[in-house]
Amino acid sequence: MIETKKLLKIYNPGKYEVKAVNDVSTVFAEGEFTAVVGPSGSGKTTFLNCVGGLDTPSSGDVIISDENITKLSGAEIIKYRLNNIGFVFQAYNLIPVLSARENIEMIMLLQGADEKIRKSRTDELLNQVGLYEMRNRRPSQLSGGQQQRVAVARALASKPKFILADEPTANLDTSSTSNLLDIMNKLNINEKITFIFSTHDQRVIDRARRVLTLEDGKIVNDIKK
Amino acid sequence: MIFKIAWRNIYRNKKRSLITITSVFAALLLIILMRALQFGFYDKLIETVVESYAGYVEIHADGFWDNQSLDNSMQVDQQLLDDIQSVKGVENIVQRLQTFSLISLGEKTKGGVINGINLSEEQKITDWNKKMVSGSFDLSDNEIIIAKGIAEFFGISENDTLILYGQGYRGMMAAGKYPVKGVIDLKNPDLNKIGLFMTMESVRNYISSDEISTHIIIGKEKYYDEGKIVEDLALILSDDYEVMTWKETLPEIEQTITADSAGGLIMAFILYVIVVFGMFGTVLMMTEERKYEFGVLISIGMSRIRLFGIILVETIILSMVGVVLAVMVTYPISIYYNINPIDMAILMGDGAVQMIEEMGFSPMIPMSISWDIPLSHSLVIFIFSLLISIYPAIKISKLNPVKSMKI
Ligand SMILES: Nc1ncnc2c1ncn2[C@@H]1O[C@H](COP(=O)(O)OP(=O)(O)OP(=O)(O)O)[C@@H](O)[C@H]1O
Ligand SMILES: [Mg+2]
Repeated sequence: MIETKKLLKIYNPGKYEVKAVNDVSTVFAEGEFTAVVGPSGSGKTTFLNCVGGLDTPSSGDVIISDENITKLSGAEIIKYRLNNIGFVFQAYNLIPVLSARENIEMIMLLQGADEKIRKSRTDELLNQVGLYEMRNRRPSQLSGGQQQRVAVARALASKPKFILADEPTANLDTSSTSNLLDIMNKLNINEKITFIFSTHDQRVIDRARRVLTLEDGKIVNDIKK
Repeated sequence: MIFKIAWRNIYRNKKRSLITITSVFAALLLIILMRALQFGFYDKLIETVVESYAGYVEIHADGFWDNQSLDNSMQVDQQLLDDIQSVKGVENIVQRLQTFSLISLGEKTKGGVINGINLSEEQKITDWNKKMVSGSFDLSDNEIIIAKGIAEFFGISENDTLILYGQGYRGMMAAGKYPVKGVIDLKNPDLNKIGLFMTMESVRNYISSDEISTHIIIGKEKYYDEGKIVEDLALILSDDYEVMTWKETLPEIEQTITADSAGGLIMAFILYVIVVFGMFGTVLMMTEERKYEFGVLISIGMSRIRLFGIILVETIILSMVGVVLAVMVTYPISIYYNINPIDMAILMGDGAVQMIEEMGFSPMIPMSISWDIPLSHSLVIFIFSLLISIYPAIKISKLNPVKSMKI
């Protein structure tokens, strides 16, 4: 379970301050498939960054399975992210000099998993995202959609508590988008992975099972289907 | 994994990496060859000067150097010689008995230094027998060989006779008449004015002493560090002896070399500056253009230390590939020119060549093959690459993943 309590993020405190995230308290249960939506500048990215420990909130708490991650130090939070949170960004997620399978395997290497487990899990994930045949290609030899599928596989590789994805489909065409969502949906159901993703795309919103709408940093709507 | 990523990143920007590696290679190549030639020249200089008179290492009775009188002589027994011979790096040992004396013929008188020598042993260290202007080096008892300047002063040559007189051992008077066996050119203007040679026995007779010596001269194995020999000798010799290297007995040579070497170091320094800025530029670009990638890596959980490790390895590979290549290329070149010395005469005017030859110096300079040269300069580049890595280290430690990933 992920809980935010009175989460506040203020940019430029003082004169021209912007409350990018303004007093957001909410709970994400295990296995949710949530879209965070809202107009541009409404605070989606800032909110996800705070939940993922990439950004430190001005005040408020982020509690993940009873642990308040806003209290962790710089090195601790990096380690926490490695073992508990999967990230997918809008683009350029992958290390360009590593092949698809090496990108996935790397995260387990950082965790210190042994080779046998790494290899079998990498192969399994490559199969799940349908890229086993392309496992030895470098990111530059993959399409944007394929790269995002590798990014999702990598996010999953660490067996995280949940995956945060900031506009993962923003750079993808329609068919790649629906293909990526099929995979995310399948993983959400089969592996019981919690997904929280931001998006502008109505077709993506349609497939979410919970839609959290932000406006000027505040939750204005929260629909569970 | 760190190595794999680092290596592929270097390969990713082939052109830039190649330019960086080439610049390290070229600079180090120049530096090593320049220094090998310089040190070859110094070795030759030291060899020529040191082996023509002094030794690499000398042992005297304690206090002799400051007060060169027979009162500060020593009695050398076989045990002492065996002990010295057992020191690593010591190749030959020879004793000398040196004393001041007046030389006179008719109205003319001048001062000189008599060197009592052991003929057969001496030839293992010095090349006096090859420097005879006339007569032969084959001294019998009560004969003398005189240096060129003395012969000119008295206007004499072999078979003439000189009178020597002066202070003997323990207050005795010393005097004698000695036929000249030959004239020697010591290839050194100062030594040529005062040098006289006799057998050890003749000198002892002349000064009425028992078996004393003033010098133990040590010839070392080539390229063996004389400093180490001195250290080892200090362990086995008592306080009754003083040990000196040519650096102390011939300080001018050491000064000349130091001054000349400084010039070479300035050249090397300029090359280093060029290379280091080139490398720094590469590392700077490498860091700047990959900020986004670094942001992603930190976001997904790569520690900053590991990330720095990647950059450090990249920097070290970039510098060390050039270094290894330069060492691999210069080594055979140095060996070749060590075996086939370079004739410096082609670089110098006739006058200079003549002057050098008069000083007993051959213009054929073998390159130094000492490993100290490539190793020390490789180490310098290695240290520079570590220093250069401070920049990415700071960048990475301050990197904010959110900011660095804003496009
Ligand atoms: N580093 C920053 N300094 C100052 N203000 C910032 C900074 N980053 C974001 N903001 C402001 O915070 C607010 C929220 O930005 P955020 O990027 O979270 O919005 P978003 O919902 O992700 O927008 P988009 O849909 O365009 O990605 C915006 O008003 C933005 O201008
Ligand atoms: Mg955004």
